[in-house]
Amino acid sequence: MSGSTSGPISGPISGPALSTRSALELEGIDFSFAARANGINVALYKDFSLRIEQGSIVTIMGASGAGKSTLGRIMAGIVIPQKGIVRRSPDFKRPSDLVYVDQHPMNGVFPWQTVLENVRYPLEKLKWESRERRDRICYLMTLFRLSALSDVYPAQLSGGELQRLALSRCLSWKPKLVILDEPFSALDGQVKAEITSALHELALKDRMTLVLITHNVADALALGMRCIIIARRPVRVMSDLDFHLGFPREENTADYGVMQQALINGIRDGLV
Amino acid sequence: MDWLRRKWRALSFVGGLLALWAIVAALRLVDPIILPAPWNVARAMPGMLRERLLADIGWTLFRVLAALVIACVFGIPAGLFLGYRQRAYKVVEGPLHALRSIPASALFPLFLIVAGVGETSIVALAAYPSLLVILVNAVSGAALANQSRLYQARLLNLSSFQMVSDVLFYEALPSIFDGIRTAVSYSLVLVVAVEMFIGLGERGLGRGIYLYQSSYRIPETYGAIMIAGMIGILLNWVVTKLQHHMLRWLPNVREEQ
Repeated sequence: MSGSTSGPISGPISGPALSTRSALELEGIDFSFAARANGINVALYKDFSLRIEQGSIVTIMGASGAGKSTLGRIMAGIVIPQKGIVRRSPDFKRPSDLVYVDQHPMNGVFPWQTVLENVRYPLEKLKWESRERRDRICYLMTLFRLSALSDVYPAQLSGGELQRLALSRCLSWKPKLVILDEPFSALDGQVKAEITSALHELALKDRMTLVLITHNVADALALGMRCIIIARRPVRVMSDLDFHLGFPREENTADYGVMQQALINGIRDGLV
Repeated sequence: MDWLRRKWRALSFVGGLLALWAIVAALRLVDPIILPAPWNVARAMPGMLRERLLADIGWTLFRVLAALVIACVFGIPAGLFLGYRQRAYKVVEGPLHALRSIPASALFPLFLIVAGVGETSIVALAAYPSLLVILVNAVSGAALANQSRLYQARLLNLSSFQMVSDVLFYEALPSIFDGIRTAVSYSLVLVVAVEMFIGLGERGLGRGIYLYQSSYRIPETYGAIMIAGMIGILLNWVVTKLQHHMLRWLPNVREEQ
């Protein structure tokens, strides 16, 4: 226990055991909530391990209340597990290299800044050169179709627009690993398809590692190449599936149907 | 016209009160020494204007505004800093609340000794509880700041100053405005009260009210009291306008407009 509970999460330098291709590794994570009415510790995680490869797009799927968001927060270092090691790639030198994007998009933007200011502010503070900054803002505003909304405050945006803003803000500075918590939950089909393709383009272009957290089979299938289904109490990996599907997804193919069925089975088993 | 349509309820309530006052005065239900007729109060106004009213209003307004400016300039940054550094707040929390529970008027003799009779003590006395209420509101506003947004801000390697000025200030702003609103009434109450007890040659609405009352010029007394009330309404209106402008990004403020 000694040495494993402190240190590894706060520092960007990883332990010696991190495999060179890993963006992030969790090993032997124990995490429990003490704040229940009867005062009994509820073990949410027990000896949980997971490995995320660099440059991959991974979906973590589980039923509601399974502890998916907690997993995202543990990965991001927001929540410190009672036991276990979180190893990050030594490439993550700055705090901004690893981002967790909250499932409520309003939590990921500054509501007192306009759309344009929201995208510009992080780049200014991270000391981007003004030319690069302008190009990046222009690219993102176009990709997420926010150009016409530059001077609008987040509170005036629709759910889909707000989600697009939250994403473009968090992705603006080219983070190396992004954990997106339910990024499609508030979106209808058309908007979802747009955001998915924007994310796909950015992940490839900026060589981002992307972790998507969702409870929804269709969302899990929308993007990525690997899906981890987790079961709860305590959280464990139910199944770890590799997708062999192209992008954009074609929903009427046999492969898609097979994967869909595999996910439905997986999440049903995870509920038991 | 549009303004009238929106405000007619509030206006007719005020009109009703005035009418009631007029009826009570016309029927002499109350001794005019205690309650003069509204038209007598109105008739006293031109005379008051010639005498000292404008200077009184000017001085009172100046003192209230000076107290508020001091309270904001020191209270907001100090409160935000304490809200940001919760550990520092825990250290000063006890004495702070102890200070807050002393009635400001009880401290006036002390202020007179420290700052002497004059502007400094009046403004300082009004600034004192105003500063504390704004500070405490800034602390609680900053302490209630959205944790996810603070996480987002920390990713950007902000300095402590930027953290406070770019993030916590806005997170706490709705709460700060609640504090300012309370501070406006504190300042006005204290300034007017203290003006009653300062030297004979001094100006100020409180002084005016006191002098009119002590020479039994009752309509003038009422007139000056009503002016003091209107100053309160005016200051509140200004704060509301400022709040609407500075919080125009807040969802609920938008919907009200």
